[in-house]
Amino acid sequence: MQYQMNEFLFAMILTELEDAVGKENCSTRAIDKVTHSVDYYWLSRMWADRGCRMPEADIVVCPENAQEVSKVLKIANYYKLPVTTWGAGGGTQGGAIPVAGGIILDTKRMNKIYEVNTEGMYIECGTGAIYKHIEYAANEVGKATMHYPSSLTCSTVGGFLAHRGIGVVSTKYGKIDDMVLKMEVVLPNGDIIETSAAPKHAAGPDLNQIFIGSEGTLGVITKAQIRIFDQPEERRFRGFLFQDMHGAFQASRELLQKFKPSVMRLYDEAETASLIKKIVGVERKGAFMNIAYEGVKEMVEVEEKILLETFAKYGAEDLGSEYGEKWWKEKITFFYPGHMMDIPQMFGTMDTIAPYGKIEEIYWAMKEAIETNFPQAKFIAHFSHWYEWGSMIYDRFIVEGKDVPEDPVEALRLHQAIWTCGVRAALAHGGVVNDHHGVGIKLGRLMKEQYGPAMQVFEGLKKSLDPNGIMNPFKLGL
Amino acid sequence: MIMSEKCKQHVDSCRFCWMCHHICPIGNATGQERNTARARALGISLVNRGAIELAEIMDNIYECCTCGACVRDCITGWDPVMFTKEARLQAALEGVTPDYINALIDNCLETGNAYGKTATCDTLTAAIKAHADKKDTLLLLGVDAKFMACKQAVKAIKVLDKAAVEFTVLDNEPASGAQLDFLIGAADETKQQMTACAKVLGEYKKVVVYDPTDAKAIKQLYKEYGIEVDAEVVTYTSFVAGLLKDGKLEPTNSGESVVFQDPYQLSRDLEETEEAREIVMSYAVLGEMLLNRAETVWAGNILMAQYIPDIVKKVAERRIFNATSIGADTIVTACVGEYVSLNAVEQDKVKIISIEDLILGE
Repeated sequence: MQYQMNEFLFAMILTELEDAVGKENCSTRAIDKVTHSVDYYWLSRMWADRGCRMPEADIVVCPENAQEVSKVLKIANYYKLPVTTWGAGGGTQGGAIPVAGGIILDTKRMNKIYEVNTEGMYIECGTGAIYKHIEYAANEVGKATMHYPSSLTCSTVGGFLAHRGIGVVSTKYGKIDDMVLKMEVVLPNGDIIETSAAPKHAAGPDLNQIFIGSEGTLGVITKAQIRIFDQPEERRFRGFLFQDMHGAFQASRELLQKFKPSVMRLYDEAETASLIKKIVGVERKGAFMNIAYEGVKEMVEVEEKILLETFAKYGAEDLGSEYGEKWWKEKITFFYPGHMMDIPQMFGTMDTIAPYGKIEEIYWAMKEAIETNFPQAKFIAHFSHWYEWGSMIYDRFIVEGKDVPEDPVEALRLHQAIWTCGVRAALAHGGVVNDHHGVGIKLGRLMKEQYGPAMQVFEGLKKSLDPNGIMNPFKLGL
Repeated sequence: MIMSEKCKQHVDSCRFCWMCHHICPIGNATGQERNTARARALGISLVNRGAIELAEIMDNIYECCTCGACVRDCITGWDPVMFTKEARLQAALEGVTPDYINALIDNCLETGNAYGKTATCDTLTAAIKAHADKKDTLLLLGVDAKFMACKQAVKAIKVLDKAAVEFTVLDNEPASGAQLDFLIGAADETKQQMTACAKVLGEYKKVVVYDPTDAKAIKQLYKEYGIEVDAEVVTYTSFVAGLLKDGKLEPTNSGESVVFQDPYQLSRDLEETEEAREIVMSYAVLGEMLLNRAETVWAGNILMAQYIPDIVKKVAERRIFNATSIGADTIVTACVGEYVSLNAVEQDKVKIISIEDLILGE
């Protein structure tokens, strides 16, 4: 039933939500609504920069646990109110922006660390926990989460799960979807479910992987068991300079058939000459690559020997450990204001992933598409997550402030056009919509282009689990 | 809103930066997105752009404890405390300060303390009277100890007595201006109070400042505001550590395992971290909590508990959790506000004592 919201009904709904989560955890204050309307998405930032208010939720609720989330979703379903889940708002794809109003469900009160289990090697926590706090808990018992994205301090466990996040040591330890043993999820109808007791099994499809990456469209992940690891006895770094990207790909592919380094980051010439020069101090022409390898000391010795031999075969110049160590120390510095791109610049990170046979082609195709169609845009890239079978491109476009329209709608149009052009080039050459930032509202329109008829699987899940379509509408192309 | 260009620059840098999201003691305790440096910056930036009214964000601006954890955490040196305090000043100038804050400001102006107190407990009155004679050294107790935790003030006096220090305590002690600075920033009233205090302190050779909040104000803020103090100003903890070194106190180590709660005013603002540890290690066995020294987590104060008691309680509860999670039995404090806040939490897992308690064995 369609209905018009009115003051009386709104007040009634508000009292129900207050009853569910406590009055102090339910807000209609301007500051709470504004705060939850701008995430790390460039368009939301630009909109606010131009003095415009982004779409806001009508009510911000902060439940403490799955039971309270369940109550909120039951209320929302009854009144057919949109519910957008918010972790810490550090997402770049606009996934947490309440574009349809309704309820923002902020998860950060669900931040309890329930168990630090050094036998099963996991931490069980609420998904509202900031990941850095999970790292603190692991460190207190001499362990580590080995999930170190630049957003370690500004994103929640749930945020990483919702968008399939990744950290800088992923080549050895995996993505967030490799780091989860078990989850508690509240379905849109309010039912609370648990995924299987172990992540590897033959009891049907993997429930974890259905909800990981679903960006709040299929339910709310409220609790997770996150893997922890022994601290490495030794972590070593080695910087290299390649004269051409092709050699770097060949060398890296071969290396990964032999062992898995923790960090592998290859910067194209443009990024080597800009960010790497500025932060790490490499003032050389070429493509800089940083490799870290770690673990038991004896194995690290062997891995170093293999690394040097393999990379020498492809003409890599060994720059020693200094630049790599500096990179490790400064790995988050890149993302602070003053070092990172920021408004008035327009920018975006179009990460994609593909097998080795395609990844170089995609890089050149995206570069050409952006630079040809948008000559005002600069294209830089690095390759920061590697597998035995392929790699990802972390490619960015940057438009300087003088070329960015002051009018917010015009700026939005340009931003959308560049994104569409870049991602279509990736798709056309065998890439995917995104590697680890997610889809959100930014790329939802391109999901059908990637998946074609396969999209009906996602749509079927959505229709079945969320028949009223209340969960994070207009995200993920659903 | 009228705001300095420097502040605007910091606001516009912080409004879209999430990097210190994990560090705010208030945000971690409440789980509220608004309790982050970026949320405050976003709010102020929208006020500057005419998209929201200043009055609509002031409650949130007063939820910041100005502990500077975010400032310390920022690699590029942006300063959310600076723009938070400037927003408070601007709100006062525009007449949009919340009523509950105005009441505290009025108290500061009328009585010198935000609590509006004019009398202290009998025991402290007697202890102050016993030190009324003018000596070279002044012990400045501060308004929190004097009016809200007089037992602690008495103990602070006792410790110096134990070391046979000759010192004065003033019955009509001047307010340092720290409370006004917190409430309205660098307003004329704040500077006037600070100037008056500096004049009184200048009548002594040495001033021992008991409350780290006052110590920060006198040693750091006065300089920023161009106010000179013609006396040697030392923190209570550094003074007592000196007494220990000089053999004027004879400690017995109980062997008890304790952790020390660094007051941010000492560890971050005045870069004093080891003096208190020297004292603690003379009387007990020191362990370390997560986030210690300059990384310390603020554990509450009395002033903010006047208007957001539930939040201050949650902050203290989280810090107690940090102590219990490493198996600590006792937290030693060096700031009366944190002592009171931590003790206000109903729990039986960990004992909360002050440095004076440790020294006096009470």
